[in-house]
Amino acid sequence: MPVPFIMPKFDMDQEKATIISWSKKEGDLVKFDETVLTVETEKVAIDVPAPASGILAGILYKDGDVVPVTKVIAYILKEGESIADLPKADSPTLHSKPEAAPVLQTTVAAQAASVNATPVALRMAKEEGVDLSKVLASGDRITREDVQHYIEEQKKPAARATLPATPAARRMSQETGIPLETVAGSGPRGRVQSADVLAKANSVPSSVTAINGREAEVVPLSSIRRTIAERMQKSFQESPHIALTVDVDMTEIENTKNRFNVQVEKFGQPRITITALMIKVVAWALVRNPYINASFNGDSILLWKDVNIGVATAVPQGLVVPVLKRVDQLGVNEINVRLSELAEKARENKLKLENVQGGTFTISNLGMFGIRQFRAVINPPESAILAVGSVVRKPVVVDDQDRVEVRPMLSLTLSADHRVIDGVVAARFLSDLVAGLESPSLLLF
Amino acid sequence: MPEISYLEAIRQALWQEMKRDERVFLLGEDIGRYGGAFGLTHDMLDEFGPERVRETPISEATIVATAIGASLLGMRPVAEIMFMDFVMLALDQIANQAAKMHFMFGGHTTVPIVIRMPGGSGAGAASQHSQSLESVLMHFPGLKVVNPSTPYDAKGLMLASLRDPNPVCFVEHKVLYKTKGEVPEGDYTIPIGVADIKRPGHDITVVANNIMVMKTLNVAEKLSKDGIEVEVIDPRTLLPLDTETIINSVAHTGRLLVVHEACLTGGWAGEVIACVVGSPAFDYIDSPVRRLGGKDIPIPYNRGLEKFAIPQEADIEQEIRALVEGKI
Amino acid sequence: MSKDKGKTKEKDTGTREQFEKRVTRLGLSDDNLIGLYRTMCTVRQFEYMADRLYAGGKVHGTMHLSAGQEAVAAGISLAVHPDDYLINHHRGHGHFIAKGADINLMMAEFLGKDTGYNRGRGGSMHIADFQSNNLGANGIVGGGIPQAVGVGLALQMQKRKEICICIFGDGAANEGVFHEAMNMVALWKLPVLYICENNKYGMSMDVERATAKLPIAQRADAYGIPWACVDGNDVVEVYDAMKIAAEHVRSGKGPYFVETITYRYFGHSKSDRNLYRSKEEIEDWKQNRDPIMRFTKHLLQSEILDEGRAQEIDGQAEQVILKAVEFAEASPEPDLSTLMEFVYA
Repeated sequence: MPVPFIMPKFDMDQEKATIISWSKKEGDLVKFDETVLTVETEKVAIDVPAPASGILAGILYKDGDVVPVTKVIAYILKEGESIADLPKADSPTLHSKPEAAPVLQTTVAAQAASVNATPVALRMAKEEGVDLSKVLASGDRITREDVQHYIEEQKKPAARATLPATPAARRMSQETGIPLETVAGSGPRGRVQSADVLAKANSVPSSVTAINGREAEVVPLSSIRRTIAERMQKSFQESPHIALTVDVDMTEIENTKNRFNVQVEKFGQPRITITALMIKVVAWALVRNPYINASFNGDSILLWKDVNIGVATAVPQGLVVPVLKRVDQLGVNEINVRLSELAEKARENKLKLENVQGGTFTISNLGMFGIRQFRAVINPPESAILAVGSVVRKPVVVDDQDRVEVRPMLSLTLSADHRVIDGVVAARFLSDLVAGLESPSLLLF
Repeated sequence: MPEISYLEAIRQALWQEMKRDERVFLLGEDIGRYGGAFGLTHDMLDEFGPERVRETPISEATIVATAIGASLLGMRPVAEIMFMDFVMLALDQIANQAAKMHFMFGGHTTVPIVIRMPGGSGAGAASQHSQSLESVLMHFPGLKVVNPSTPYDAKGLMLASLRDPNPVCFVEHKVLYKTKGEVPEGDYTIPIGVADIKRPGHDITVVANNIMVMKTLNVAEKLSKDGIEVEVIDPRTLLPLDTETIINSVAHTGRLLVVHEACLTGGWAGEVIACVVGSPAFDYIDSPVRRLGGKDIPIPYNRGLEKFAIPQEADIEQEIRALVEGKI
Repeated sequence: MSKDKGKTKEKDTGTREQFEKRVTRLGLSDDNLIGLYRTMCTVRQFEYMADRLYAGGKVHGTMHLSAGQEAVAAGISLAVHPDDYLINHHRGHGHFIAKGADINLMMAEFLGKDTGYNRGRGGSMHIADFQSNNLGANGIVGGGIPQAVGVGLALQMQKRKEICICIFGDGAANEGVFHEAMNMVALWKLPVLYICENNKYGMSMDVERATAKLPIAQRADAYGIPWACVDGNDVVEVYDAMKIAAEHVRSGKGPYFVETITYRYFGHSKSDRNLYRSKEEIEDWKQNRDPIMRFTKHLLQSEILDEGRAQEIDGQAEQVILKAVEFAEASPEPDLSTLMEFVYA
């Protein structure tokens, strides 16, 4: 019995994956745990290993296909097995039943009355276990030759399932980002011609023009863009967002950073960033406020034991959120190193699944663009996200005598899922955060 | 510019070069008083004498070998093979000898000979006097295979061939001999190895040689009225082949059809197509790349059979339409 | 000289008196005779060295050795002018050496080196030296025979005094172009001296099994070409015949055809295991009819050379070959980047 090869599920909330490319092809010998294909989930590209050693056969999905998780995508043939042993693609239950033949015979017997076939064809179908409903009749009735032809066709190895398209159409598809699958081929046998891709590319702007009288460039959604769109919409629709803003005096934390850096430079270590320190303080505050580090779970709330903080990072393709695990257990120095490693991986598109999954809270920072304050959308299934603005030096009242000083000030805005977090809970978390940032020594207690 | 025939254009080139360069002389069967089987060398005997218009016994291999031997001593012989079919008798001298000597002898000698050979069907000359063997000759590095389709090209290419230091197979076509065109009276050469875009267009590239150029141009004219613009490329030289012009054209039009009279199987169309498909033009190909060639049969005698043994204008038109209109 | 058609001459070279009388008649000086001896020694040394180099794995391809046939090469070269043109075929080492080729360049070509005559492109089978009017060895049996017509034609048209010497084997005489060329060369009275080196075997095919009527030279009659068939292992007889033939050709009377009966000691090429001829036959030729041995005997008898001098000359020949090997081995291989060169001029 060939080993079914399923589309694995990598992530708690993962529903499907896109096949980026098969690195093995039909008929290739594969070894257990050897990479056979690469798929893209909503978050990252993942190499999928073979579930067993044997011959890769019966590939059901091609590059670019989106496949629900746990669907069979191919089979691994063991020694002595052939393509003939593969279950029929459209009868997925067959491969779980050891005695396939009797099932088929029953079908054949049952269909005999309803199918228009010659007696010889009927007998042959019965003997060979052929489902006559799948056999095309060359004339009025299914003949012996038709059955014979069907059997021979079945014996042929599965054709490379690719979309018929001319080289020019393929190039244009790449250039415009319009997937060939979405283009109706006007050529013989549905072949996509370059003109078809061009027409598709031109069709959207022309309809916009017709409606609004304005021209626009059409940019098809990339996989990552589509994911962001789906998740953000889902988040905004499902979780009622509340947002709270506080201002923080960053004087102390900057002093702390400078003191730190004098130390780390002595050891030749990389300089600490404010972000690393902020993550440390956020982790500390999360431990003190478990409902911020939580997920809404229908009829319950999950308070996560680990504090896994995601840091939203802009990359050329869009946005990724690499996750620092168990930050509460880490020193600032380690946070700093891991953070820069993750940022580099993100830029080089080398993030692994474990680098982006399991987040319990997210920090989003737009300070480098001069944004003072903004509200971020929660990254489900998390319950809160912290939006960090830019540090601005401005005059503030620093004591009871209304003494004004210029201080580095930062606005922090927490977006919280009201299903889990009430305003007071959010406010408490923010006040802890402010305390930790303005008096870092509190973290020692 | 005077209008003269293809045959006259070649004769004029030979005549002018023999006047200009004493080393040039002709040798072949019946080229003297008879004037050559097709009359191409008429009156040349009187003008240049029997030494330089040297009639030979019927010994094709030795005709070519004699040309080779004389060229080694600085002569510039022009050997006439009466019908291209007879090239087979001289193939050792052409392929094993002339083509290889410059290379095999370490570049220390050259073999500047021109071998003229009228090929092609259409004259009712049947199987042994009607072949198009240019594809065969393309398989021998060291040879040049020149194949003009117009009187203008014929003269310019003949003058270039006569001055080329390499052995040149100058493939003529019997049916083209009488076709006329404008030809400058003076001296001019057309570089060997450079294709000519006989008609520009943007819907499909058709590469064709000798009589197929004429046929394709007629078809292109007709299709233009229906809005199909055919780019017609005449390689003019088959070896070395100007693949660059062809590749650029296909990258522009996205479609390719190659038409030749030579038998389809093993014909040079396959070579052109392989070059294009393997080139960067691949990404611009927008329909199947196709070829039309002579049927894989010896040329028959009967007029009707003979005609349909090779591509006709209707075939070319049908093929172009099918490709441009996306029917195949 | 042989106008007694139809008979080959495999006589011995006669008594001392006969030899001396003949040499005097031909006007050959002692220097001429010693020169012939030196040439034959050099050819033989070259061929045996070639065999050794092959055995030593230094030669990439095959080769066709002419040991045993030295008298033909030596005899021709003395009878013709140095600037006469030469076209020959596979077994041509001896002809080149006798024509005065640079042995260093030959050996370098033999080893496929960039310094070789053909810059390593030709090898043993295709050595050519256009500067000394050696138009190259042809690897297609008989391929050069019709080309000699062209060379002769050019010489005639250019009104030059040189002649073309075309050497081929008994096997080549059965190629169709042989007859085309004989006809045309006679028809146009071209200055071509055709020499058929009949070494009895076309590869393994005995000339008697391959040729309907012998000698091969009598075929020249059909084309009105004068001919001779001589003992190719008697260098003085070869010289004698070639002298007459070359003078005939040079005088503008048209071609001449000489067949030389000789014998090769090595196989046809390196893959030859001599299955078609007996050891006894090979030994008989080596022991009783060897051209160098026969000629040396006369030179000693007539006191043109003594043993010591004979050995000294042979030793000098060996030195020339050893130096050539040294030169060839020290020469560079052709640069791979030059692979595409020389396809077109």
